[in-house]
Formats: sequence, structure tokens, C-alpha cells
Amino acid sequence: MDSCDFLDLLREKGNLPDEVSLVNSAEKFQSIEGTTILAIRYRDGVLVAGDRRATMGNVVVYDRAEKVIPIDDDSVLAISGSPAIAYEIARMLEMSVQYYRRSQLQDLSLDGKLRSLSRLLRQNLPMAMQGVGAVIPIYALFDRSEDIGKIFFYDLLGATFESVDFCTTGSGSHIIRGALYYANRWGDVPLAKMDDKMALETIVKMLETAAEYDTATGGYNSTSLIYPTVMRVRTDGISKVSEEELKSILG
Amino acid sequence: MLEDPYRWVEAVRNRREYLEDQLKNASPVVAVRYIDGILLLTTTPGPRKVFEIYNQISFASIGHPADIEKLRKLLIDVAHIEGFNLSASDVNLSRLVNFGIAPIIKEAFDDLIRSPYLARALLAELDPVNDGHSFYTVDPDGNFEGSNDFAAIGSDCSIKSIKSYLRRYNAESSFISAFDLALRAWACGRFAVDDKSVGEELSDEDISSFLRQQIHGYRIECGVLERQAPTTSKFRLISIDEMKVIIKEAGSF
Repeated sequence: MDSCDFLDLLREKGNLPDEVSLVNSAEKFQSIEGTTILAIRYRDGVLVAGDRRATMGNVVVYDRAEKVIPIDDDSVLAISGSPAIAYEIARMLEMSVQYYRRSQLQDLSLDGKLRSLSRLLRQNLPMAMQGVGAVIPIYALFDRSEDIGKIFFYDLLGATFESVDFCTTGSGSHIIRGALYYANRWGDVPLAKMDDKMALETIVKMLETAAEYDTATGGYNSTSLIYPTVMRVRTDGISKVSEEELKSILG
Repeated sequence: MLEDPYRWVEAVRNRREYLEDQLKNASPVVAVRYIDGILLLTTTPGPRKVFEIYNQISFASIGHPADIEKLRKLLIDVAHIEGFNLSASDVNLSRLVNFGIAPIIKEAFDDLIRSPYLARALLAELDPVNDGHSFYTVDPDGNFEGSNDFAAIGSDCSIKSIKSYLRRYNAESSFISAFDLALRAWACGRFAVDDKSVGEELSDEDISSFLRQQIHGYRIECGVLERQAPTTSKFRLISIDEMKVIIKEAGSF
């Protein structure tokens, strides 16, 4: 039986880029990075958000980067770290999931998706170890077998962890982790019981808090109409929160 | 013996006759455009015959299930490698047929010591760019033909009958009307397997009566490419429950 793995197909046809070996040139190279991404589990599913800024050292390179990427009808990947690698990993994961569904005539299981992402991260280890291509994603999906949204995060080696209530990674994550814990533990309504409006307000305000204290995280800019990317992962599928909705919260 | 040119031609002719003979009883596949997309319809007693290949491309085939599977896998592999190396917008039906599937089928057909692909294929693309065709049919000898409004595969007499019925086709029709038209066209094609009447010669009552008699024991399979689908992938296979509602609404038999 032929492999149902998209990476195997690319390798077989000679289309998979060669793995990068360790070289001693990291000091001369400054990668583009800097981000805050976060996900919270709420009553209807999961909300995933990311700021729009990409930085290189103390230079803002781009202010309209999309860091929350749909993978299929049930899942999104939020990326922090080196955009070049992160986008490639997201694209490879998206293609792997689609290829499996079309070739095998069934959806890839939740564990299969998690494992695919884990393998992609592990393949990137040499780049991460050189300090130029580290990627720490958050993967949020709707588990139809249990009818709930789930949040997973990874380490550099590809280990998978499930987050129960919320998860945040990137350069601004340490600033809001405590705030998220506080809101969940002592706030009027725990994250898991929040309705869509409350959860959306919370996630957008957390991102703004991170932007206030982390220069590598971009805040919203009402003049240039730059708003964070926020996606809903719910039983009715994936949807992007509109700019109008974000504007009503951020003013 | 194949060094002799006459024998080679004879062997090719034998091959062609063999393939046509093997496909003559196949349940035809009918594809039509409607206002919101494309519909592919057939009936099958067993294995699935209508598939998704890429975001806006679908595939249906008659013939040996193992050969159908080989062709389907080939198309999916080519489309996904192209989509990965270039972009999703560079994957189109014209290139898949011209440079992907047709040369491989032709090569197998010409290789007289190998088994040819025992399959006739129909491919559809939603809203092709660069004036490309919406449909392609590919014969077991690798010959292919493009069309824009409708297409069918089956035995030679089935195709003739279906195409004559589909003169009633209207691209502005609703999904339900297109479903009814495709199902009736399928009946014309199936009718022609035993009786050589062509579609336009059959009355609506003949077709309804034939459908009532023949449809039992078969599963109607219908795949759609929907322009308004919110997802990247535009293909959807109609579920059994949905099919019951559609058949009732269409009132085809």
C-alpha cells in the first residue's frame, strides 16, 4: 500500500527541501521574530488571537503579518517565532491534512494531526538550535468526538501538551500569562464559562496588554486600521472575527 | 509477433474492442453545470465512483475499481505536489489532463505486454481560468475531450443517448432541476445499454418508469463542486439523508 503521508510523497518525488545541518553562522544572522499569540477555551469552543507585528532585533519589519492560520475546517495554527519556517510548517501541515483526507477518503484523526505537527517541528530542530528558525506554535481545534474545543502547544523538540483553559506563547506571553490566570481563577466568570462576547473582549484586551509592555508585539492601530487576527474554532467551523467586531471592542 | 506492423495494429484494435466490451455494462456518470456549481451523478451497487481531487477539481470514473483507484491516486499526487511547489491557483484541470493523466493512460494502452487501464474518466473543474474547459473525459486509450456545459462517460451508446437527452440542459437551472436532469440523463444512458434508443426518443414517462424499475439495488451517488462553499475545498459528497430529501423534492420517479 502506498504511503498516505504527504511528506513521504514529497520525499519520494524529490520535492522535500534538504534538512539543514548545524552550521556556526548564527551570530552573523538576525532572524525576523517577536510575537504574542494566545488561545482561550470558552463556552462555544476556542478563540485564538495573534498580533500583527514582525520584528528583527529592535526594528519593526512588518505590521500586517497573519499569525493565525486555518489548517482545515476544524483547526487553526497560531505561530510564534521565525515566520519563514512557521509559514512553511503551517503550509506543510495544511497540505498533509488535505492530502490525507482526499487520498484516504477519511479525515485525519486528532492524534494524527498532532503527530504530523510534532514531526514537522522536530525536523526543524537544527534551525531552532542555531537560533534562527525556532517556532513555538499553538494548535487549536474542535474535537467532534467530544464536542469541545481543545488547545495544544509544543516545545522546540515537538513534544505535545494540552492546555486546559488557556495558552500563550511568544515574546509577550510572560506578560499576560499571570493576567490570564488571574482572570480565570478570580474573575467574575471563568474563561470556560464565558460567552462569545466576553471571551472576545478578554482575548483582545490581553493582546493589547502584551503590546503595551513588549516592543515585539504590535498593538492595534486605529489610524492604519491594523487589528489583531482573531479566529473562532467552534462546532460550526472556523471563522475569522471581523474588523468591525474588533473595532467595537478596541474603539 | 508484434514486430510485424500489421499484427501491431491488430493487437491495438483487439485491445480497444476488449476495453469497450468490458465497459459496455457500466453505470454511466453524468456531469452538468448549474447556477451555483457543478454536479456529478451516477449510481453504483458498491464502490464509490465520484471523488475529490483538489480544491475545485473532482473526478469520476467507470471501470475496474483497482484501476480507478490508481488513476485517482495519481491525480491527487500530481495536484498536491503542484499545489505545494507552486500555489493552489496553479493547479488546474487542463494541465492535470494534458500533462498528468492522459499521457500515462496512453502509455499503458500502447504497451501491448502490459494491462491497459480499464477505466474511462470524467474530470470537472469549477470556474476554470484561461478559458479552460469545465469538463474533460479521458478514454482508456488516453484520448481526451473537453467540454463546457455537460459531459458523460459510459459505453459508447450510453454516452450518445445521454448527450442527446442533455440538449434540454440549462446552465441557469437550480441544483434540484440539475439533479433531476442528470438523473434522467443517467436513465437514458442506462436504458441504451440494453435498448439502443437514444435519449431524445424517450418520453418522460418512459424515463420515470425505467427509473422506478431500475433504481432499486443501486445507490445514487452525487458529488457537487459548490461555488459558495465557505471552505477552500469546494467539493462535497451528498449524504444519504440529504439524497432522500433531494429525490423527494426533484420528483424524478
